[in-house]
Amino acid sequence: MNFNVFVALTVNGLAMGVIYALLAMGLILLIRAVGVMNFAQGDLLMLGAYITCWLTVDLELPFWLMVLVALLCFAVVGLIFMFSVYWPLRNASYPAATVIATMGASMVLKELVTLLWGSLPRSMPSLVRTEDGSAAVLQIGSINLQWQYVLTILVGIVIMALVFFLFEKMYVGKMMQAAAQDAYAASMLGIPTIATIAVTYIVVVIMVSVGGYMIAPIFMVSTTLGSLQLRAFAGVVIGGFGNIKGAIIGSLLVGLIESFSTLQFSSYKDVTVFMVLIIFLLVRPQGIFGERIADKA
Amino acid sequence: MVNGQRKISLGTLVVFALVAAFVLIVPSVTSGYSMMIVNLSLIYAIATYGLSVMLGMGGMLSFAAVSFMGGGAYWVANLCTGRLGVSMEPWLALLLAPVVFAVVGFIIGSILLKLNGTYFTFATIALVQVAWCLFQNYRPLFGGPDGISGIATLEMFGLKITSYTQWFYVLAAITLIVALLVERIRRTQLGRSLAAIRDNQTAAQILGVDVYHTKVIAFTIAAALGALSGALYCLQGRFVSSDMFTFERATQFIIMAMLGGVNDTFGIFLGSVLITVLPESLRVLQKYLKIVYGTAIILLMIFMPMGIMGAIKDGFKKMRRKKREALMNVAREVKP
Repeated sequence: MNFNVFVALTVNGLAMGVIYALLAMGLILLIRAVGVMNFAQGDLLMLGAYITCWLTVDLELPFWLMVLVALLCFAVVGLIFMFSVYWPLRNASYPAATVIATMGASMVLKELVTLLWGSLPRSMPSLVRTEDGSAAVLQIGSINLQWQYVLTILVGIVIMALVFFLFEKMYVGKMMQAAAQDAYAASMLGIPTIATIAVTYIVVVIMVSVGGYMIAPIFMVSTTLGSLQLRAFAGVVIGGFGNIKGAIIGSLLVGLIESFSTLQFSSYKDVTVFMVLIIFLLVRPQGIFGERIADKA
Repeated sequence: MVNGQRKISLGTLVVFALVAAFVLIVPSVTSGYSMMIVNLSLIYAIATYGLSVMLGMGGMLSFAAVSFMGGGAYWVANLCTGRLGVSMEPWLALLLAPVVFAVVGFIIGSILLKLNGTYFTFATIALVQVAWCLFQNYRPLFGGPDGISGIATLEMFGLKITSYTQWFYVLAAITLIVALLVERIRRTQLGRSLAAIRDNQTAAQILGVDVYHTKVIAFTIAAALGALSGALYCLQGRFVSSDMFTFERATQFIIMAMLGGVNDTFGIFLGSVLITVLPESLRVLQKYLKIVYGTAIILLMIFMPMGIMGAIKDGFKKMRRKKREALMNVAREVKP
């Protein structure tokens, strides 16, 4: 394997890893805030891709307006998602019920986008294009990199940094953490838990949807984007359940494993990724960064 | 208590009447393609019964049923086409499938059930992905993307089972046996141990339930039922390919179980039939049906998390309580 191929594979793997990391980080934020495993996470990413595709391709909005409208849409989606799939179920007697409800939501989202935008995959122009509209390539020395992959990594890092900043450094974030750790005590202290949960949902949907926007030019915009969430699940477990730092590193690892396994056995990359997951689960179920904590039933 | 017992048997009678009506009426009003869909729903029901042992009795969310279904299907496909040089009578392959995959399930279960709760669920997701990817790509055993076709017809007691209507009777009989078996398991020590684990694992352990082994046995049963359903699927369609055994299908099984009532033997059957047959019979609404389904599932989880049968049972319980209260009130009024 020569150096150029190595760099290209690394960049591709990291770009995919960043997407998985966005999904995984969102998963953990939701698990922390409301204790719900979201099986519609990938479908939210897909919805984000469809919405941005609709705004750019169909409505042909200028970039800045597109970003504004898209963010607004994502926030609304987040609120709708929360008030349909989480809020009515928060006191459910059967713990699996909330998880199953997100599976229902996944079904609804998939069908909704096919109804709205048709069942054919849609193509989306790359962010950086050459004159003739094809995807631009970044050349460093003898190495060719797709701009889209590089941008995906950069945008992903910026978003993750922003979310980290929001949760760790800002007052609002501390309130959200408090509400996540002990909703009852937090509400006693006057923290509006419903608002903090709503904000969490909005933040998660925005993160994930931006991931969808970045990935759309690389893949086509179609309902199969939803299945990306399975890799994010793998990343979450490999990194250590409930640990954001671990989830990010685990997801990047999944991206890299996937990217490098295409070299040897391209059609078996799923086998490699998920075998690594199974091995991790058996050898080190607490993940790379996890502490030995009992699983809450 | 005696009173309660009689009530239960009344419910059982109703269920049996419904099942008998289903078996008698369905073949006379459907045929061909729609019959096949009904058959498919029965095949799914068998796999979903495995899930009900895992999720309903044991509270373990497992996606693995679909992989064992694939295992059973490819087992039959390989043995009944003779593509590996070994040929077997279809009925023998069908009988062996659950046995073989019970062993496989036992081994996999012993490994995966070292994990708890969510970790276990993730491991089963990984299993589904690995199995699906192998089914799709490994040609020597699974025929790759083209799948395997040309599977021999099932012959039982000198009778070739070819038409969908004949298949219906076979499947109905097997589903009934499986349902009775699951209902029986619910009332054995195994079923009660599983329920104890579901409700409170620590307490169950303290009371002397061997948590790990009970779980492994449940997983084994689920695997055997999955393989049985896969083998039947393969023999009925006489074709098998990997797109049957995806993660989406696994989700569908869970939705079926939850819709009918994960803890109710009849509910599982009801859920499978509703999810499989309704989309076909409401072709006009086809476009919107899945949205309706998804929404229905969310609403169901909000208003009746134990599924349709759970809601019916709750309704009966409430009615009975009201009646009792009314009687008590009458008694109170009469006393002085």
